[in-house]
Amino acid sequence: MRASIRKFPEERLEGIGVCPGVAIGKAFLVDDPRGRVVRVFLPKEQLESEILRFRDAARAAQVQVKKDIERVRVALGSDHAYILEAHLLMLEDRTLGRQIENFIRVNHANAEWAVRDVTQHLLEVYGQIEDDYLRERGSDIEDVAHRITKILSGKEQRSLNEMADNSIIVADDLLPSVTADLDPRKILGFVTGIGGWTSHTAIIARSVNIPAVVGVRDITERVRSGETLIIDGTAGAVILNPSPETLIFYTEERQRQRQQQLYDIEERELPAITRDNCEIRLRANIELIEEIDTYQRFNAAGVGLYRSEFLYSQAETGLPTEDEQHDAYRFLAGMVGDEGAVIRTFDLGGDKLHLEGFKPERNPAIGMRAIRLSLGVESVFRTQVKAILRAASQGDLKILLPFVTNVDEVRQAKRIIADVERELSVEQVPHKENIEIGVMIEVPAAVMMAEALAREADFFSLGTNDLIQSLLAVDRGNENVSALFDPMHPAVLRAIKMVAEAADKMQIPVNVCGEMASNPAQVILLLGLGLRDLSMTPSAIPAIRRLVRSISLSDAEELAAQAISLDTPAEVRHYVQTHLSDLGSELLATAHFG
Amino acid sequence: MQQRTVIIINRLGLHARAAAKLVKLASTYKSRVVLTRSDAPQKTADSKSIFSVLLLAAALNTSIEITAEGPDEEQAIEALCRLIADKFGEE
Repeated sequence: MRASIRKFPEERLEGIGVCPGVAIGKAFLVDDPRGRVVRVFLPKEQLESEILRFRDAARAAQVQVKKDIERVRVALGSDHAYILEAHLLMLEDRTLGRQIENFIRVNHANAEWAVRDVTQHLLEVYGQIEDDYLRERGSDIEDVAHRITKILSGKEQRSLNEMADNSIIVADDLLPSVTADLDPRKILGFVTGIGGWTSHTAIIARSVNIPAVVGVRDITERVRSGETLIIDGTAGAVILNPSPETLIFYTEERQRQRQQQLYDIEERELPAITRDNCEIRLRANIELIEEIDTYQRFNAAGVGLYRSEFLYSQAETGLPTEDEQHDAYRFLAGMVGDEGAVIRTFDLGGDKLHLEGFKPERNPAIGMRAIRLSLGVESVFRTQVKAILRAASQGDLKILLPFVTNVDEVRQAKRIIADVERELSVEQVPHKENIEIGVMIEVPAAVMMAEALAREADFFSLGTNDLIQSLLAVDRGNENVSALFDPMHPAVLRAIKMVAEAADKMQIPVNVCGEMASNPAQVILLLGLGLRDLSMTPSAIPAIRRLVRSISLSDAEELAAQAISLDTPAEVRHYVQTHLSDLGSELLATAHFG
Repeated sequence: MQQRTVIIINRLGLHARAAAKLVKLASTYKSRVVLTRSDAPQKTADSKSIFSVLLLAAALNTSIEITAEGPDEEQAIEALCRLIADKFGEE
């Protein structure tokens, strides 16, 4: 038997693919979400200059502390300055300096790493001191380490792009700001231990178009810098110690994807028209203003859904102010031009507003959230409406109300919006008159009341994700039942048809903004059910554009008419699967059914 | 060479602030001054290194041997003993 060459067997770890694409390369471990203290293996020639870099930083830290000592002495007297004197002595202490310099030499380490490791070790020794008071003084060491690190990462900070050139970043978590600075020409991809599809880091990864997988538990413990790994951002997998066969497979896959991207670019200007000449509008779902890049890259026909609550979670202190919101909305209006953008008002829960006396809810998904909260805490809603109306004077913006269950909610919201409009007129602030107001259809009650809602609304937006969850009574996040979340359930198809018919009858447009709009097989059903306006994550647009161009609407209608008459999800799935080939699109052979 | 044994009598022991005073004082002398815990002779500290002194973890009532060697050994040991007996000027 031949001995195995590889030391470790190949291992496949599952996570959440947040930006599609394959990356193959060496791992680069980042052990701080701010991307600061990273471990770099330096070549021998650089060690002496790295030691000088450390000494400079230590000297700068001493100067800082001396200034602090003077300040404290003047303000509070010399007794209080003594703790800083201790910090100064630590910085001057040759023991510490020698240990750090040694660490740099022995481990070929960058200064940040050396400072952290040496002080960490000192802290451990400190932790063993039995006297409580003395032991707690370890915080002084931490403070000193922090001061040096901060100086090291100041203006002379090596950028992550340079350090990790041509590698895959591996971290527990990355701050959105760090992710946003990653240069796709230098960074092949990244993996994080925590995060989800809608975490900011994931969203930014999509906007910079770097293959990324998040939520891979313990990834930083399992990979070392310099090891080869593969990330499959499409499947949401990370492969450690890939075998030669796996490497070949993924190298080819990467090649195929690059080719595909070239096609996508060639095709981006092609109209989304079916073979029988029906134009389908393909719009983008956007969470962050930064994502607008992807919107342009994929040539979306406007923004079908801008999730404004992400502005809230970005704001460091509480809710974004009217001006902050106005700036974001105006920027959005400017970017989309005549194609327009739909702003969904805050879909937040009460916990986020830190309301006085607000008790944690047992089931916030059906609690005080979205439109309920907007009507409950009117001031927050009014501020947002004001910002939207002002920004809408400079571009085509529309308002979308989330989580509506009752016609009265729409009427109330409209009254408030009209009132804000009057206020702006009185104050002579430029703003849009008669802004279009849409209703999100995402709960069964709204489906049942679609006609009545259509009388109040200027347009509908069909949120299929939430609608499927509440219609089928399935929590997607619950592994025990997540398989029951099924867009091909006949009940889902019937609900969609009801909404499309109500909108048609009342002559208002309807857009689909859930994930169904980005799944090729499901898109055929949507088209067949009468929908002509789809909004999706921008990177899905090229595939859906190709799909639209490859089918004819009459075939889709026939398929949908049959599917909706079936009794079970399995029958629908089977029927669609077996009849896709009749539609004459080779694309559909590989379409997902998920 | 000079040697003397002293007891730490300030309530908080050789914590950062006290250690800082001790190191600063010791550093003003040319002599080499070593501190050793009487109860653990393997635990010695260079009196001019704050990390070293802190790691002695000398709490209230710890007995310390001070050993000084150099041109000003007598003055050094005298000054340090006074600082410790003075409770580092704290209480």
